[in-house]
Amino acid sequence: MSTKLLPQVLKPDASEEKGENARLSLFMGALAVTDLLKTTLGPRGMDKILLSASGDVTVTNDGATILKALQIDNPAAKLLVSMSLVQDDEIGDGTTSVCCLAGELLREAELLLDKRLHPQIVISGYRAACQEALRALEAAAVDHSADQQRFRDELRNIARTTLSSKLLAQARERFADIALEAVLRLRGSINLDHIKIIKKPGGSLHDSYLAEGFILEKRFGIGQPKRVEQARILIANTPMDTDKIKIYGARVRTDSVLRLAEIEQAEQQKMMDKCRRIVAHHCNVFVNRQLIYNRPEQYFTEQGVNSVEHADFDGVERLALVTGGEVVSTFDDPERVRLGRCALVEETMIGDDTMLHFSGCARGEACTIVLRGANQQLLDEAERSLHDALCVLSQTVNEKRMVLGAGCAETLMANAVEAVAEKTPGKAALAAEAYARALRALPGMIADNAGLDATDLVSKLRAAHAGGFVTAGLDIERGEVVDVGALGITESFKLKAHMVSSATEGAEMILRVDDVVKAPPRPRERDHPHM
Amino acid sequence: MAQASMGNGTGGASSNRPGGAGQIGAVRSASAKSKDVRLANVSAAKAVADAIRTSLGPRGMDKMIQGARGDVLITNDGATILEKMRVEHPAAKMLVNLAQAQDVEAGDGTTTVVVLCGALLAASQRLLSMGIHATTISDAFQRASDKALEVIESMAVPVNLMDRAALIKAATTALSSKVVSQYASLLAPIAVDAVLRVAPPAALATAADAAAQTATAGADSRAASSVDLSNVRIIKKLGGTLEDTQLLPGLALTQRPVQTAGGPTRMTHARVALIQFCLSAPKTDIDNTVVVQDYASIDRVLREERQYTMQMCKRIKATGCNVLLVQKSILRDATNDLSLHFLAKMKIMVIRDVERDEVAFICKTLGCVPIAGLDTFTADKMAKVEVVEEVPLGGGDDKVVVFHSGTGAPLRTNSGDVTASATGVDGGAESGATTPTATAGPAAPSLPNHAARGDTVTVLVRGSNVLVLDEAERSLHDALCVARSLVRKRSIVPGGGAVEIEVSVRLGEYAASLPGTAAYCVRAYAEALETVPYTLAENAGLGPIQIVTELRRRHVQGERNTGISAKRSGAVADMLAEHVLQPTLVSTSAFSLATEAARMILKIDDIVMTR
Repeated sequence: MSTKLLPQVLKPDASEEKGENARLSLFMGALAVTDLLKTTLGPRGMDKILLSASGDVTVTNDGATILKALQIDNPAAKLLVSMSLVQDDEIGDGTTSVCCLAGELLREAELLLDKRLHPQIVISGYRAACQEALRALEAAAVDHSADQQRFRDELRNIARTTLSSKLLAQARERFADIALEAVLRLRGSINLDHIKIIKKPGGSLHDSYLAEGFILEKRFGIGQPKRVEQARILIANTPMDTDKIKIYGARVRTDSVLRLAEIEQAEQQKMMDKCRRIVAHHCNVFVNRQLIYNRPEQYFTEQGVNSVEHADFDGVERLALVTGGEVVSTFDDPERVRLGRCALVEETMIGDDTMLHFSGCARGEACTIVLRGANQQLLDEAERSLHDALCVLSQTVNEKRMVLGAGCAETLMANAVEAVAEKTPGKAALAAEAYARALRALPGMIADNAGLDATDLVSKLRAAHAGGFVTAGLDIERGEVVDVGALGITESFKLKAHMVSSATEGAEMILRVDDVVKAPPRPRERDHPHM
Repeated sequence: MAQASMGNGTGGASSNRPGGAGQIGAVRSASAKSKDVRLANVSAAKAVADAIRTSLGPRGMDKMIQGARGDVLITNDGATILEKMRVEHPAAKMLVNLAQAQDVEAGDGTTTVVVLCGALLAASQRLLSMGIHATTISDAFQRASDKALEVIESMAVPVNLMDRAALIKAATTALSSKVVSQYASLLAPIAVDAVLRVAPPAALATAADAAAQTATAGADSRAASSVDLSNVRIIKKLGGTLEDTQLLPGLALTQRPVQTAGGPTRMTHARVALIQFCLSAPKTDIDNTVVVQDYASIDRVLREERQYTMQMCKRIKATGCNVLLVQKSILRDATNDLSLHFLAKMKIMVIRDVERDEVAFICKTLGCVPIAGLDTFTADKMAKVEVVEEVPLGGGDDKVVVFHSGTGAPLRTNSGDVTASATGVDGGAESGATTPTATAGPAAPSLPNHAARGDTVTVLVRGSNVLVLDEAERSLHDALCVARSLVRKRSIVPGGGAVEIEVSVRLGEYAASLPGTAAYCVRAYAEALETVPYTLAENAGLGPIQIVTELRRRHVQGERNTGISAKRSGAVADMLAEHVLQPTLVSTSAFSLATEAARMILKIDDIVMTR
């Protein structure tokens, strides 16, 4: 009845949720996403099948991939998703962790709100706790970059840690080596475009390997040599059938067949001119994004230029990048065109297919990882996992500090936060304690997923850290608290720091909301001519 | 602390249920869901495996598959059956992919790999119901698979590529389970000879070295040991029977020479040109119209077209070409009546409708260069072939065009005196075997580029109906793959379930040495392997339990090569003595792929619907 007295502010279809209700629906959404993701956490985490409407199957353990695919209608859940995707962009891994931590922070916050704490107090408590956690993390971070060999080993450990939670776990030693070698080739660059990943069904994951140079899934034209040394590569995106007059309705009018034949001849002449201009670049390999037809191909063969037609877009771009050439579409000025260079181009066989291998490229960073595996899903997942590992490694090469994984860093931060909470007067201390619990929930989930007694292990871990055993972490294989430094479970400092700060920010943002207004859905117009 | 943070379900979100009770309920429901999903996945995958289980082995049955458009397919090939089944369930789809991966990797054993994976999943279902964690099972399976590969390697018998008989035995085993199994003795030598011919000389050279010094057998590099099967061209021609299937050195085309204007169908001292341009009225890329102003100009236009076509034909004749292969064109007529008429008058044999993807093979085989334009039509681009002729197949109207050196009959025909020696299956195998060796020598000098460019072969498959023809092609592909995998990895293992039983027995021993839950899982893995010989026996109509226990007994006693012989006695026998052999690669890849797929399915705990 009281609503009758209020003026109608919103449009009739718009809805509004206020106060407690708004918060509740946000929490529900965020926790639903967290609960979906948390079984994928850790070395014993499970995978998900993503089944699309068209029936495509994706099997994955990668948080970002799952979140991207989800259909979500809850604003808080969307926020968590975008937060994870930022983590994916920035670091490449830890997407699941960041989402889970934010979820746990919200779960704890909910309990505090029940105790009549004001959201702002919770937020300020969280902020202080976050700063303390980061300080503790930074203090624990170590930098091994002075010792090359040690640094290499630690990098390898990071790759192993990242891969251990993925499907690649069984072949992680091999893939850690592959990832490490690929990243070291980059020499500090974080541009992963130099690394191409080729997926070929068949063989097993152990048959995957790293090849120097670049592999293009194409072959040379008919009758051309299978091998070109000291290749000068012209990379182009140009039509090779005819340069058509692009005016609608343009046509040739003649009154005799011979005239027509002459015009046909002229057209072909024009194309041959183009070929001649291409050859004038003194290239011996010509890679075109578009089709090369019979006649130009034959001309190239005669001129000793190997031609590759219909290369994929991605392949052309990367080839240009790794060989230091540029993609051209006009050929009037040979002097100004940069040709790609590499020592050797040859046809090789991978599985059943023949491909072109460009080795000794101008840019030494270039390498190709050939993935083999039982089926397409496995290969796709392997690619995602490897990509995560590559991202993390390339980040770590620049930000060289590292921390210990396996719940060690989390417990360390939690204990530090708790220590501060003890000295903090006021309600903010409650929030800080809650923050510590949320941090500790992460190793809890890892243990839980492995079918271990999480409560027992986490409290043992906490006690170990409180007792000064600061390298203590979980050994999932044996279900014990051990020295993770000895196990070699290392993670990037940047990853952990980013995870903590962005999860805190995300939780804070959701906590601050007390009102959700949904705009009315755009009315669908019927009988629209273009619909 | 941990209790609160460990809360699982969305129930924890509701503020009026903060305590333990609601959360415990949520935990239970979440884990119940993941269990359901896992069981559903395992069941779906098992259903797929069960569907093709009956087609395993030499006495396995075939499946008839009716397509959406009413087309019918009869096959025994696991990969083909699964591909046509159009399964919906995501886990079932993974099994289909598994079969395809085996097909790519080894080309054979596609049914085995799926049956194996199904058996492993059935075993894991039991383990899961005992409360063993999925990752524990998965890790144990991986260990078991690694161990299994060791056992297989230890059973492997190295094979020499020069030992043609051994290769043929392996190919025969691959064929023995197919619809066309009664022709295995004919098709197997064809497959082996085809692969040996197209194998790069480097691969065979290593083989020769290996024959001389067995120590270097394993030192083959990746490049040298791969065989490009695109150099083996299978052509199918309806009619005749499978017995008429044969291996042709070099090239045969199913396209008929054009006879509309009475052109020649046989050409000796042929000079063959492959053209990629069109012998018809000119056509520009821009739309064109020829405007006819008056009555007189109609004649002129016609005359000009005639003249234009005549010019083209004359220029072709001038180069000395007398056999013309014309690539198919979709944009315009590759030839027209006029040009065919002129060419026939000039005694040039014309074969039309050569597909673009055939061009590479033809060029490689004949040593010619495709000619893209009339102005680049020069004599050096043509290939010299002694004889190009259209040869009738069997007694019927079917004919193929063969390119050969003229010394010795390239094609076995049923009409003629050759028939006498080539009727029986054994006789067929014999002559199929001698044909390539007889012509390989003399052919080389007459085709100068031939040897340098690496060899190609054509297999002409005959069959009385399309279904048999298609199945024969698939079976031949399997046999080719078997021969190829022997080039890649030169060892063989006994077939007939011997590998599976041996691995099972050894894994059982291995399990006894392991501590903890892993031992239990490895034992389950070992037991699951018995499904393969069990199914083999079952399909052969033998008592599976007796057979499998007998097999196990013999293997425990150290008779490692004992397997099920469906050949004669229908009982257990030494597979090496029975000549039931398969490439090691087929077995190793089946084990590792099946394990990988089973582990992947085990690790899934949820299916999420997405856009």
